[in-house]
Amino acid sequence: MKWLFSTDHRTIARLYFFLSLIAVFAGTALSLVMRFHLIMPAVKIGADVMAPEFYLSMLTLHGTLMVFFVLTLAPMSAFANLVLPEQLGATGMAFPRLNLLSFWITLASFCILIASFLATGGGPLSGWTAYPPLSVVGAIAGPGQGLGQTLWFYSIGTFCIASLLTAINIIATVIEMRAPGMDLMAMPLTCWNWFLTAILTLLSFSVLIAAAVLILLDRLAGTSFFVPGGLLVADQVIDHSGGSPLLWQHLFWFFGHPEVYIAILPGMGIVSELLSTFSGRPIFGYKAMVTATISIAFLGMLVWGHHMFISGLNPYSAIAFSLLTMVIGAPSAVKTFNWLATIWGGNLRFTTAMLFAIGFVSIFVTGGLSGLFLGQPQLDAYFHDTYFVVAHFHLIMGIAALFGIFAGTFYWFPLLFGRMMNERLGKLHFYLTFIGAYATFGPMHFAGFAGNPRRYADFTTFDFLAQVMPLQRWITGAAFFLAAVQIIFIWNLFHSIWRGAEAPANPWGATTLEWSQSGIDTRDTKTCPGP
Amino acid sequence: MPGTLTETTGSPPPPDIPELPWGGDGPDRDRPERGGSRSASLTGIIVLMCASTMTFAALISAMVVRRGLNNDWGHIGLPQILWWNTGAIVISSILLDVARRKLRSGNRQLFNWLWSAGAVLGTGFLIGQAIAWQQLSNRGFYAAGHPSTAFFYVLTWTHAAHVVGTLLPVLYVMWRALRYELGPGRRTMVEVSAAFWHFLDVMWLAIMALYAFWA
Repeated sequence: MKWLFSTDHRTIARLYFFLSLIAVFAGTALSLVMRFHLIMPAVKIGADVMAPEFYLSMLTLHGTLMVFFVLTLAPMSAFANLVLPEQLGATGMAFPRLNLLSFWITLASFCILIASFLATGGGPLSGWTAYPPLSVVGAIAGPGQGLGQTLWFYSIGTFCIASLLTAINIIATVIEMRAPGMDLMAMPLTCWNWFLTAILTLLSFSVLIAAAVLILLDRLAGTSFFVPGGLLVADQVIDHSGGSPLLWQHLFWFFGHPEVYIAILPGMGIVSELLSTFSGRPIFGYKAMVTATISIAFLGMLVWGHHMFISGLNPYSAIAFSLLTMVIGAPSAVKTFNWLATIWGGNLRFTTAMLFAIGFVSIFVTGGLSGLFLGQPQLDAYFHDTYFVVAHFHLIMGIAALFGIFAGTFYWFPLLFGRMMNERLGKLHFYLTFIGAYATFGPMHFAGFAGNPRRYADFTTFDFLAQVMPLQRWITGAAFFLAAVQIIFIWNLFHSIWRGAEAPANPWGATTLEWSQSGIDTRDTKTCPGP
Repeated sequence: MPGTLTETTGSPPPPDIPELPWGGDGPDRDRPERGGSRSASLTGIIVLMCASTMTFAALISAMVVRRGLNNDWGHIGLPQILWWNTGAIVISSILLDVARRKLRSGNRQLFNWLWSAGAVLGTGFLIGQAIAWQQLSNRGFYAAGHPSTAFFYVLTWTHAAHVVGTLLPVLYVMWRALRYELGPGRRTMVEVSAAFWHFLDVMWLAIMALYAFWA
């Protein structure tokens, strides 16, 4: 158990990696149960048919697990810990003990989240956005709004602290621990992306923790920050006055939108490095890539209002948020074209990691294009509460980031476990996942066009949704297919950990410093004796 | 000369602590690699200040928005003790900074006195804050009352949580200082905790200004 208390950055990376793996297992299982229920709502699961509240509770846990414990942890906390120090020419993070503390706090946050789902009175059902007033008024609002919701806020608050500590560590490592002569513009793009992700984490999670404190006080101390006066819930007037649910939305989305980039920026860094390595060419337009990444991060902090077009935002504000949202398309396009220019004419090696990197570009473009629709207030008014949004954010935030995680896993597996993953199984896994992802989330756009609302537990009670049920059945089938093919990955992962071919010193012919040691050394330098 | 006693008193001379060439706190700091430096720690604490500033900024911007929403804003008369607390944290900040400079120049005994006085004043600030909350509560100003009071509690509680988190290293430094374990070459925690204490000092002045002139 020594590895649980090790301050070695690679051991901590492995801990984050496996925690994310557990979270993605749980999150995927929940999504499959939800998808099954959506097409067969009358089927009993256990003793009875699923109550809508339980569906929403699963939806909440699915979103929270995926956004916080998969898309935030794996790309930044796991992979940055794994290779950032060596890529900078250092041998460890700036604050090793703080690094371990971050992991422990994250683990505590995970345990509190699971406890919230199992709490007396039911799991929280306000979604990962936890909009007040229903998330505030307590058990009177229905099942799951009592202890479960309170624990959920504790979990998120705790997660904020852990993320802030990780961000501080990454920023200090990048600023202070670069090898002599390595200025910022000589860093690999992976380091740039982790650096900017850490800055976004610092600026946004520190606001979320303030919001979490305020909402917990509303729930537990009777304050009225987010609860309006005269609110009637279950025929009872709520004893709060003067607060504003919109205030929560501003604070939440000030975190929530940068969170999208916290999930995707590390993937962009990984993809940049992989496309370059497996094309045998330096990245095209390094300075432009850095500038584009900084622009995306900066603009990403200014567009939170586009999540609130239908929340009663001032129309002039909506125009400003809409324009800024559209502007993000420019640096995103710069990155995309530079990726294409990097591989154009290159000596391409289609390894599994390279395939996932190319897949990332495809998914990023597809998911990004639907964002152009949602960035316009007039169109968002129709699409906002439909499956179009579900399709959009699953592609751009979920699948694209997951492709980055898969690419990073195949690429850095030798550094994680000293062995190689099976390439044949890897490629099979990629092609089936690529097909499954588009088959699942592509048709959701059409469901959205048809006005299919999201967050509903049962479509069969609405006549106008009868037309989308065949589509929903297809989506459920595709989702099960997508989940099933992940068994290939899991088999490949665990089989390779113990039985994979031993990794040579620099298996990919990469030029970054994490591969510069004479042989792969995965030993824990803080708990194992040196050579 | 670094690490030597410059003021003679009745106490035994402190042991000599050699300055480390790379400015760190020694190999026992669990950072054998480059970067276990004072510079990294100061960078880390500056980044933490940015995060805390964002948290306070979020709370204050929520306060500004909340005040404009309704007519239920009421002013609270600040308890008199808050002004004494303000004096305590400002003087404590000055003392810690002078102490930090004395340690850097090798005057370890004066450092011990000044740092201990600053730490005691810092603890006094925290006790004073608890008394202020009690006084407000006795006057009927609760967190669940009007929003001005609610924000006062939120801001001062958040500030107090930061103060507790900083007082722990400040008191730990005091404990080590009194055992003569610190010196010009072993003062990272001194520099870092003093820097964050100054930050909390400024934050407190901002909160007081907000409530004295606006809220």
